[in-house]
Amino acid sequence: MASDPQKQGSGKLYDYTEGNGYPGDQQALRLRRISSPASSQNYPQFNWSSAPSEEDENGNSEPHRDLRSAPLPMALKRAIRQVQQMHVPVVSSVESWKRKKTKSLHKLKDNARGFLTLWNKSLQKIGGNFGGGVQSYFLFLRFLVVLNFVSFLLIAGFVLIPNIVFRSDGTSLANSTGPEKCMEYDPNPQGLVVFYKYFLDLLSGTGFMEYSYLFYGYYNNTLGEDRNFSYNIPLAYLFTVVFYFIFCLICIIARMGTAARVAVATGGSTVANYSMIVFTGWDYGCLGGKATKLKQNNIHYRLQVDLEEERIKKQAAALTSCQKVVLYSLRVLMFLISCGLIGAAFYCIFLATNFSQQRSGEQGILGLIFEYLPSIVITAGNFLVPLLCDQIALIERYAPSTTVIMALLRAVFLRLVSLGALLFTLWRQITCEGHTDSGACELCQYNHEVYPCWETRVGQEMYKLTLFDFLINVAVLVLVEFPRRMVVDNWPSKLAQWVGRQEFVVPYNVLSLVYGQTVVWTGALFCPLLPLINTIKFVILFYCKKITLFYNCRPALKTFRSTTSAFFFLVVLLFGWILATAVMIYSLAEIRPSMGCGPFRFLSNIWSIVPTSFYSLSTTTQEFLFFIGSQAFTIPLFVLSCVVMCYFIALASVYGKNVALLRAQLKLEGRDKQFLVKQIAELSRQLQIPKHNGVQDCR
Amino acid sequence: MGNKQTIFTDEQLDAYQVRLLHGRYHELAPHLVPMDYTNDPDCKLPLALIVNMPELKENPFRNRIVEAFSEDGAGNLSFNEFVDMFSVLSEMAPRELKAIYAFKIYDFNVDNYLCKEDLEKTLNKLTKEELTPEEVELVCEKTIEEADLDGDNKLSFTDFENMISRAPDFLSTFHIRI
Repeated sequence: MASDPQKQGSGKLYDYTEGNGYPGDQQALRLRRISSPASSQNYPQFNWSSAPSEEDENGNSEPHRDLRSAPLPMALKRAIRQVQQMHVPVVSSVESWKRKKTKSLHKLKDNARGFLTLWNKSLQKIGGNFGGGVQSYFLFLRFLVVLNFVSFLLIAGFVLIPNIVFRSDGTSLANSTGPEKCMEYDPNPQGLVVFYKYFLDLLSGTGFMEYSYLFYGYYNNTLGEDRNFSYNIPLAYLFTVVFYFIFCLICIIARMGTAARVAVATGGSTVANYSMIVFTGWDYGCLGGKATKLKQNNIHYRLQVDLEEERIKKQAAALTSCQKVVLYSLRVLMFLISCGLIGAAFYCIFLATNFSQQRSGEQGILGLIFEYLPSIVITAGNFLVPLLCDQIALIERYAPSTTVIMALLRAVFLRLVSLGALLFTLWRQITCEGHTDSGACELCQYNHEVYPCWETRVGQEMYKLTLFDFLINVAVLVLVEFPRRMVVDNWPSKLAQWVGRQEFVVPYNVLSLVYGQTVVWTGALFCPLLPLINTIKFVILFYCKKITLFYNCRPALKTFRSTTSAFFFLVVLLFGWILATAVMIYSLAEIRPSMGCGPFRFLSNIWSIVPTSFYSLSTTTQEFLFFIGSQAFTIPLFVLSCVVMCYFIALASVYGKNVALLRAQLKLEGRDKQFLVKQIAELSRQLQIPKHNGVQDCR
Repeated sequence: MGNKQTIFTDEQLDAYQVRLLHGRYHELAPHLVPMDYTNDPDCKLPLALIVNMPELKENPFRNRIVEAFSEDGAGNLSFNEFVDMFSVLSEMAPRELKAIYAFKIYDFNVDNYLCKEDLEKTLNKLTKEELTPEEVELVCEKTIEEADLDGDNKLSFTDFENMISRAPDFLSTFHIRI
């Protein structure tokens, strides 16, 4: 009898082996009460007589998959499977071999996917211990590593290797026209070089590193020839760089598409906040007392933040108009102050870059410091200004989520503006403040005295920025985070506990990645090997950040939403891309290439290699390309794209309406069910009363 | 598992993982659990032993999890139910299955509805009772308001499943690694 309740859960599928005689009524009653408290009435009814259908092309047969996902107890599933296996049709040996092969291929595919995806296990471990927000940072980092590596392969294949192959031979594509003075360029160091100078040169890209494959100046403007195959090196260089930008754009947008799909499917993260937190907030994989406590604090914090937002919204709605005016004017003031801060940072960087350029001839350590002055000022600005902006945000009194977004946007703007300031300063000096017909630029339309090869110079600046960024990250890790953790762990004082262990703040780390990538994009035209350097830098950064995460950091109390954050990171990356593209387009079209170096010497601007090479193509190709560029082709193409876009917009709106309709229908079904249940209760009550009377009468 | 009487093939459950689980089940109570399952012994471990596993020890819902997977509702798990529990909580279980069992776990009074008392208990376990009663009240109200579709002031399984389908993190949080 004790085992009866257990058997009841499985219902009518087990034999009742008890031989105890029960009164007929009670046995019937027991059989009627099929479900025990533990089993849910939501178990789907299993159709015993269904034969297994043909296998689909995945190699999984449908009933097996259904069985796995059916919420039945394990013992029941086993029984069902036993019955199913008896139904398995007899197949010929060829068929069964084919089926076995598809299954093993499927398994192989799964294994390969797990193996080839870089750092899968590390990412799982990070996500398990620190949550989705931190994991999204590392996923973003992995995406950038892969992007940079593929870009490097592209550049190596089309620019580096042909240059190495066709180094010595090849006919020059343009004749030297222009004053002799412009063509003076001698980057090789003269005389005996002190040993430590090699180290300084490595850090600043000068000296032995300047005239090498690393920078633009080393590449020739020749047409590499080999039997009946000619390779136009300057054209290849240009097209590779342009294609690299387009390729990066496509990758970013493709990734944004997948991230956006998740965000749209969940209907926006602001809806159904509380229910999400309550039911999906707890991470069942949390191990250990500390992680659990942290998770609980985390959930507590999130709920409090949401409640706080509600409260602030209510307060904001309850403000009198006088208070509203005060608040808004305060916000405008703070906005102006933050713009002022960013402008001040811009000006400081401008001054620093000017100073650095003036003192560029210094030797030794002092010279190195002057070389790195712009980078130092940029890093200092990137550290100080967000701190000040955080204080400003306290006065503005936005809702917490808006505050976070505002802070991030300000930090992004600051970073990109810093880079822009550096580029602006360089531009001023290269083109003599835009007046290319006066002063030092009169002779060659660029400042040939200070910059005999200005592209290499710009490339060196970008190289220095990348390197400095990397060194700062490693230095902060070694000199700040490890000591901080050692102090906090081993020194039991109130101050140490208040400071606490480092928190891994996701947004600022992501911004630093975006900044690094923007620098690489800006410098790609002038320093073709920069993507390779960046790949190595990001790989080392991954391991460094992982180490610091596990040893030095405690999980952040304030979590960053992981689903919308992936999309946000990519949007910010896109801003960086736009800045880099603007710089590239300007350099291609407006500034005269150096006459002493590089693959585009003696041309009036970099882009003019395209028309020049165009006329060396065959006539049919020329006519074809003219046709594509003409109005007879582009206007119909444009009209067609508009039509296709309208179609997709219409499709999207129809799907949206469908979703809303289905949601409403779901609500209605619920109400119907409620109504029917009430009806059943009514009816059964009505039926029971006369029946009961009948039984009473019988007795 | 000692011999091949089991009807699971490699595609259903990785035999290695079943052996692993059996090892864990055995070490909870070495004198109770037989090593040989040939004769399909009827051996159940009580709740108190199972919630002492390191994966479950700190989980505030440990009692409910074990009760949801036990047939008698009191938390005594046979080996089949033990495997069931960890397979639903693994990363390969489909979303619908996880949603069904998540609903059962949060349904404290086992009436197939998540009523306000269930939510209050869930919330208290989540935040270790650090929220004030007014805050608890407010959050429960808002949760029901957001997820209740049929307007009966409690969440049925359909409401729950609909809400879960819009939660992208559900699959990754409702997951225990063993």
